[in-house]
Amino acid sequence: MTFECSYYLEPVDTTDLPRRFLDAFAAILQHSSYPMILEAASRVTSRCGRCTSTCPVFQASGDPRDIPCHRSELLLRIYRRYFTFSGTLKARLGVGHELDEAAINTLAEEVYRCTACRRCKLECPMGIDHGLITHLARWVLAEVGIVPKALVVATREQLEGKTHNTSAIPEAAMRDTCEFLEEDCADEHGLAITFPIDQQGAEYVFFPAVSDYLLEPDTLTGNAAVMTATGGSWTIGSRYFDGINYGLFYSDRMLDRIVSMEAEEVRRLGAKKILIGECGHASRSAKFFIRTFNGPDAPQVVNFMEYTYQAWRDGKLELKADVITERVTYHDPCNIARTGWIIEQPREVLRHICTDFVDMTPKGRENYCCGGGGGTVSIDEIRPFRTKVGGAAKAEQIRRTGATLLVAPCANCKKQLAEVCEDHGLDHVKVVGFHDLVLLAMVAPEFMRLDSAEAEPAEASTEAVEECAVTSSARTS
Amino acid sequence: MDAWIDLARGPLLRISLTIMVLGLAYRLAVGLGHAITSWRRAGDPNVPVRDVVRATLGWMVPRRLLRSRPLYSLASLVFHLGVILLPLFLAGHLELVSRWVPGFWPVLPAAVADWITIVALAGLAVVLGGRLVVRQARSLTRVSDIAILILLLVLVGSGLLAAHPAWAPANARLLLLLHALAGNLVLVLMPLSKIAHCVLYPITQLLFQLGWHFPAETGRHVAIALGKEEEPV
Repeated sequence: MTFECSYYLEPVDTTDLPRRFLDAFAAILQHSSYPMILEAASRVTSRCGRCTSTCPVFQASGDPRDIPCHRSELLLRIYRRYFTFSGTLKARLGVGHELDEAAINTLAEEVYRCTACRRCKLECPMGIDHGLITHLARWVLAEVGIVPKALVVATREQLEGKTHNTSAIPEAAMRDTCEFLEEDCADEHGLAITFPIDQQGAEYVFFPAVSDYLLEPDTLTGNAAVMTATGGSWTIGSRYFDGINYGLFYSDRMLDRIVSMEAEEVRRLGAKKILIGECGHASRSAKFFIRTFNGPDAPQVVNFMEYTYQAWRDGKLELKADVITERVTYHDPCNIARTGWIIEQPREVLRHICTDFVDMTPKGRENYCCGGGGGTVSIDEIRPFRTKVGGAAKAEQIRRTGATLLVAPCANCKKQLAEVCEDHGLDHVKVVGFHDLVLLAMVAPEFMRLDSAEAEPAEASTEAVEECAVTSSARTS
Repeated sequence: MDAWIDLARGPLLRISLTIMVLGLAYRLAVGLGHAITSWRRAGDPNVPVRDVVRATLGWMVPRRLLRSRPLYSLASLVFHLGVILLPLFLAGHLELVSRWVPGFWPVLPAAVADWITIVALAGLAVVLGGRLVVRQARSLTRVSDIAILILLLVLVGSGLLAAHPAWAPANARLLLLLHALAGNLVLVLMPLSKIAHCVLYPITQLLFQLGWHFPAETGRHVAIALGKEEEPV
């Protein structure tokens, strides 16, 4: 049979695939703690279907393949058959199934229909984390060469390519972009900002989603403006400057290697902390796994919104109230909100700088995924599924708020939400970053203001917000 | 008939209870053993205990449970209450194990026990119906899920009728035998089936939280095991 999925794959070696799959599964089980969760899930799952009431993908598709319990069962079935006593006994008695290529193909298709938002865990009385089981299934598949091409090609460039980042941006281009943004900020906002590069001994090393250098100039400018205004000690590392970590989506081996590259760059620069830009999965993969792979002395991880919020609360950053007059809403990236890590901080700031801030329902820990989580946003060939199915609940949420500005503090969510808005007739909604708006509300200290163009934030807001919209539409093209 | 009933309520019950206690203790020990091993191997052993406790206790609050699929959830809640309260606090059950029951142990008044039984039966019927009728639940359901629900229906239903011969469509002694046999079967199945969640529930949130706390060396060991140390991405 031909091995086919709705996403592009690099050529899959199907020689003896079931045996190789089981070998990979066995190796992972032997050296990890995954047997614990598979055993627990096998023992307690009641397959009640309660997760159907929370999964935005299933709610939109109505396809039984998208029920989280069903997806987990695909892997659990293989686990029980090949790695438990009862499964082996049944096989000896001739009542066990045999793993074949078709079953692996089904698994490969279905685990990438999940956005790994882990909303289903909230509704499982047994606490079964289908996101974790899907995470494991993706890793086993990856070890036999089954990974969406978009993810593996980007990771290959990041770990083994010349540029060491997922967008293949050469160091010189990154430096040029920073210089351009400094000049642009001076021209547009009358503010002197700097992007320090390779500053030894800085407190923070900055790792945005590297695609921000291509697609999110306003967010990066806002980041630099906040750091300049607050006198923050930060730097970008020239050897490694990408926060993206697709390992979180398909392989713990890659997750380990990428997180460790961040830690290594911090050590090289003699810095103390990792500062992650506006990106949910980049934040989570660093925050929750850096100690796992780099020990208790690993650098502390801070999300840029945490830094900005704290600077504002401490009085180091002045933000003008009620600068943004359009209706604004906020999208919680799953990777920073599901655990309750970052929920209220950006909202407090937005309520201060916006005259008309409205929340979506549900929000925070219970937010709906943008529909592009789990790495699926990078898979362009599944866009109709991503936006029409995965993003349907989010589109409806956005529509209900009546907002025209949608703050999405995550590179992946921004791209996905711009496409969701486009595909759901929400063309009037502009997707912007959190720091795009912070920049517009910032009362710059005297030392940042350039004589040639002193702009009052309140006067600049409408035009500047319009400019954000240009970036928003550029993401989808 | 009486000899069969005595057998089911005597030696068989002792065997079933032994299997249940030892089996559930084994299940719990395995779960805790996994948790301890995983925690000791974790690269980052800092588990957000408060989140785990909050999630575990959260599901014991009916309001949380009833937030989605309210009818199914309510039915599930009352049937769970029934199958917990009736074995532990019904006078007829306590008589069977009287030598191990302390004097202060509360006993359900007969009328209350009847109502709990009837409500639990209704709950079981709704849950079974939901399994069979609701499309998404049906697509997930396995034969064992249905079999356990039917077994519980037989167990609770036969118990109610055996206690009220006037309502019974068949010989009450026969129903009592059926009840005793079904009860023994449920006890034996507890550690062998998904009913094991009765002891595993308090630790499942912890286990899945620990699941994200990977051992630091897993990736390297897997690469070695699969001969991929030098293999490009």
